[in-house]
Amino acid sequence: MPSVILNDTIFKGTLSQKDSITLDGTFIGDITAEEIIVKDHGTINGNLNASVNIEVNGNVVGDLNSDKIHLTNFAKVRGKLSHKSLSVDEGAQLEITAQTRKRISNLNKE
Amino acid sequence: MFFNSNKRAESNVGFSHLGEGASFEGEIHCKGEIEIAGKVKGNITAKTLRILEGGKVTGQVNAEKVEILGCMLGNTTSLNIHVGEKGVVRGDLRFETNLSVAEGADILGHVQKAKKDKNKKFDTEKVRYLEHNQRAS
Repeated sequence: MPSVILNDTIFKGTLSQKDSITLDGTFIGDITAEEIIVKDHGTINGNLNASVNIEVNGNVVGDLNSDKIHLTNFAKVRGKLSHKSLSVDEGAQLEITAQTRKRISNLNKE
Repeated sequence: MFFNSNKRAESNVGFSHLGEGASFEGEIHCKGEIEIAGKVKGNITAKTLRILEGGKVTGQVNAEKVEILGCMLGNTTSLNIHVGEKGVVRGDLRFETNLSVAEGADILGHVQKAKKDKNKKFDTEKVRYLEHNQRAS
């Protein structure tokens, strides 16, 4: 079952999760998971590593690393992004450097 | 008595949940309710803490209500403690009001009823007395 961390909870440390995690609370530290979803009250100070998807609708200070990154309109992000596909909604406040990882098929073409 | 597994599965709104595949190292502070089905190494402060079957906590726990249905290694301090039938405890249990242990629970450690309130009152009185003396001198 995926993890859910609510508004009233503060985590300090490192978390690794096999499936999905939804954060609406405060997290200080690094997270590794398959999918990370940060809701509007979520505040994260640390690096996010997801194998499939990261969706941010809250505050993140740290590096994001995932195949797919989606920053929605309430997102506030500061850090480095490494992704295969990135989408940013209108209104997102960003202070980022983004880097697209090349797909293997593209590398072969080159 | 304390929980209803069907209810829990339906409503995942009221409390935080750390899933089975999760392993966390560090501190957790929760003002509300938290459920742990994964592994936690470190101290936990919460209002209500529920360690589910398959959940494992290594560290100190401080809460108002604790339900141990999984594995708890370390000392537990709480107003109310419930240990379920598959609960495993290695460490001390300090409770203030209620302790309930289901048949089959595995506990190794001190079990103590503590009256914290009296100590607190005593301490504050002592502090007041000392402050008064300081002012007087």
